[in-house]
Amino acid sequence: MIKLIGAVLILFSASMVGWQIGRYYAYRPVQLRALLVALQMLETEIVYGLTPLNRAFVKVGQRVSEDVGKMFLFAAELLNTEKAQSAEEALRQAMGKLWTHTALRKQERDVLTSLGQVLGSSDREDQQKHLRLAVTHLQGLAEEARHEQEKYEKMYKSLGFLGGLLVVILMF
Amino acid sequence: MKEIMAILPASIRTILNALPPTVTEQLEEIRLRQNQPLEVRYGQQSSYITASGQLTSLASQGWEFTEEQSVKLLNQVSQHSLYALEEELKRGYITVVGGHRIGIAGKVVLDKGEVKGIRDVTSFNIRIAREKKGAAQKVMPVLFESGKLLNTLLISPPQCGKTTLLRDMARSISYGSEWSSSRKVGIVDERSELAGCLQGVPQRDVGPRTDVLDACPKAAGMMMLIRSMSPDVLIVDEIGRPEDGDAVWEAIHAGVSVICSAHGADVTEVAERPMLGKLIRQGAFSRYIVLSRTKGVGTIQAIYDQGLKPLKKEQVV
Repeated sequence: MIKLIGAVLILFSASMVGWQIGRYYAYRPVQLRALLVALQMLETEIVYGLTPLNRAFVKVGQRVSEDVGKMFLFAAELLNTEKAQSAEEALRQAMGKLWTHTALRKQERDVLTSLGQVLGSSDREDQQKHLRLAVTHLQGLAEEARHEQEKYEKMYKSLGFLGGLLVVILMF
Repeated sequence: MKEIMAILPASIRTILNALPPTVTEQLEEIRLRQNQPLEVRYGQQSSYITASGQLTSLASQGWEFTEEQSVKLLNQVSQHSLYALEEELKRGYITVVGGHRIGIAGKVVLDKGEVKGIRDVTSFNIRIAREKKGAAQKVMPVLFESGKLLNTLLISPPQCGKTTLLRDMARSISYGSEWSSSRKVGIVDERSELAGCLQGVPQRDVGPRTDVLDACPKAAGMMMLIRSMSPDVLIVDEIGRPEDGDAVWEAIHAGVSVICSAHGADVTEVAERPMLGKLIRQGAFSRYIVLSRTKGVGTIQAIYDQGLKPLKKEQVV
């Protein structure tokens, strides 16, 4: 009887682990898309709206999905409270604090970090160039993420279940 | 002062906070130049400031404004968004909350021979705006004739309080005064000096019934306002170009009163200038107010009527 309960538990937890890993692969493209939308909105705000960065961050943060949006909102708060002395610092701090909550990887972070270094520090044309460059980079990464999702999401989900099943079979 | 303090980096703020109150009260300019000591102008004097906020005449003892500080200051002033200041960088000054002005200098970037902006900003001149309400009290009575607001030309050499007077006239007319009921005022503020707009919102009190076209060329702006805002009075600073004259002429004949200003020492001198002379000969203006500094900034030297005859003293009072 106890063995049976143990078997069920193992099967359940193994499936959950597989499902978690699979979900990570499913989330990354979603969040990458949100990030892309965010940067495109930022471009509009900067190039056409001439909105100062702190307000642009808030506008973007409120409109894109939670985890990515939160980073922009936090960066805006840092700028408003003068806890960050520059846009670069604000973004870096925001990413440092909230990055682990997202399914995004180091490559995306590098893109944002290098964008942060120039954000707000040049004229419109230049800002647009940098934002477009970042968007192109992220689009490449998004493509890659989608491929990975197709490949690995189902695989990890079934792998978790099957791994659990293997242990259960070996137990009996 | 509060508004100015809010945009300064903490290090500079601490120093200025330590200034003696007598200096703070009269503060006119805060001048910051990269690698040079911090300087303030107050009253009619200027002085360097040490790191502890003491006045000094020795440049070597002054607190040095470093490159790092200048980057920080520009960051603060622009709210970390230089792109939003493109126009301002082209003009060479930035208007901030409260109508204060920050003049800037540095390396100018050209595009096809025209100034595109300033990169590497190294000099800042923070000019503190102080409103002198009531400057127009003395001239208000002569502006009206049987309830009609007369077209007026304000003549003054630079720095004699011309803009201040013009602003106060706008305010008095907009609020209404003992000489007239309140009227709709339209201001074309090409140099953002009259209303000191920040994102389109006047930072100076120009009255509740005043519409401001900020940073708009005068001639085009006057026509726009007449068509869109139906003002009773148009107020324009420093007319001088030929098209400005046409616009004034046009406005006067569109049933709008015009109050404008021009550089000059006297009516006769101004009448020599081609565009203004033509307007004067055509009798566009019914009042000429001449300013000077003989008894301090804003002295009203003389007031003339349409035929360039001085108004009698008792009429002026």
